[in-house]
Amino acid sequence: MLNKFYRVAVTIATAALFILTSAASFSVSAKGVFQSGPDFVAEVFAPLQAEPKVLWLTPEIRTQAAVIMDRPVRGLRIRYHQSNNKSAWILEEIGKEMPITIGVVVEDDVIQQVKILAYRESRGGEVRYPAYTAQYNGAALQEDYRLNQNIDGITGATLSVWAVNKVAALALYYHGVVNQSTATHPPQ
Amino acid sequence: MRNKPKLNQPINGIKTNMLWHRRLGLSTFVVLIFLAISGFALNHSPGLKLNQINLSTNWLLSWYGFEVPAAKGFEVRESWFYNDGNKRLLVDGNSIAPCTAPLSAVAQTANSVFALCADGLILLTADGEFVEQFRPIDGLPANTKTVATIANRVYLITDSATVEFNPESLALISVDIATLSETLVDSQLASAPLPKSLQKQLKEQASGPSISLETLILDLHSGRFFGQFGVLFIDLIGLLVCILSITGLMAWIKRR
Repeated sequence: MLNKFYRVAVTIATAALFILTSAASFSVSAKGVFQSGPDFVAEVFAPLQAEPKVLWLTPEIRTQAAVIMDRPVRGLRIRYHQSNNKSAWILEEIGKEMPITIGVVVEDDVIQQVKILAYRESRGGEVRYPAYTAQYNGAALQEDYRLNQNIDGITGATLSVWAVNKVAALALYYHGVVNQSTATHPPQ
Repeated sequence: MRNKPKLNQPINGIKTNMLWHRRLGLSTFVVLIFLAISGFALNHSPGLKLNQINLSTNWLLSWYGFEVPAAKGFEVRESWFYNDGNKRLLVDGNSIAPCTAPLSAVAQTANSVFALCADGLILLTADGEFVEQFRPIDGLPANTKTVATIANRVYLITDSATVEFNPESLALISVDIATLSETLVDSQLASAPLPKSLQKQLKEQASGPSISLETLILDLHSGRFFGQFGVLFIDLIGLLVCILSITGLMAWIKRR
């Protein structure tokens, strides 16, 4: 009788462990494209329609951007959308091996929203959760080009957290550049 | 008379046993030495960094079933645009932009060059400088097969539609396929084998397929390198080693 009870208990425990493991692996490996760039922009500026603009990366901008990103920044121009003092940027940075596409909305030199639009890594996808991205709301750029707010990391997603931090700082920097110079023309 | 064979039996038995022991030893010693050395190398593979040594000789790659076609690219204004098989777009040997393989098409206008990679459309200046990438998340149509230009206008061709692409605004405008399709097909640049100097450079950069030395040694050790026959051969050697141990043990017992 005791032996039978023991067998049933082991079976139930094994089944529960299997279900829990499956659920955990599903939540961790939930990668993919969550929102397209045009949809993100439309959502951010609704019901208005923001003006699409181009920031041409001069050597000075590129040098500073490289310092923020801790790597060379490639490309001659960056697309963004702006309406009054509000701008939306869709930027990419590699977490561990794959690029993370991140939408950043900046208004009056502070971050209004950070949203993960596409996550392609197999691990670390927790950075897409609103509970994490809400930490960036209200963050501004310090003189050393870092965020002026402490962002709590996520265990197992350190590289993704660093990537989002860098992109958030870069979007703030680009926002500052376009509001000073409105540089929408190619460098001479 | 009856005892005589009994006296000779153990001596003959030992002789026969030793004869087979010697035969087996001679038949297997070369393979055994190889297995010992390869086993030692595999045991210390991380220390010897065998997994970091990549081999990419043509015969080895073809033995492993890798197709090694001549690398191809697109020639535009006397410059060669090609992909290194990984994630870079190269122009005459210089890495200029991210580009996930395959590089399926390259087209040019008076001021720009367009390269269609698996992960997006790369916009370049006429000098081959990277301007920006137009990705599916930005609105690049899914299943875009190729890019072509007619009279400085850029067209993206998908399985079901052809759209005109504005490289300044990144806007897409539907066009009448019937009037354009034949002209677009004619205007597409065809890929061609890279010049030998670039092929050699690509190979030296070892950016194509390769086999690690650790994999090669492991496959030789297990016999898998020679397919099913090799595995059976190593099985046979294992069996012979067992027999060798038994004959050796028997000889030792009988001599006592």
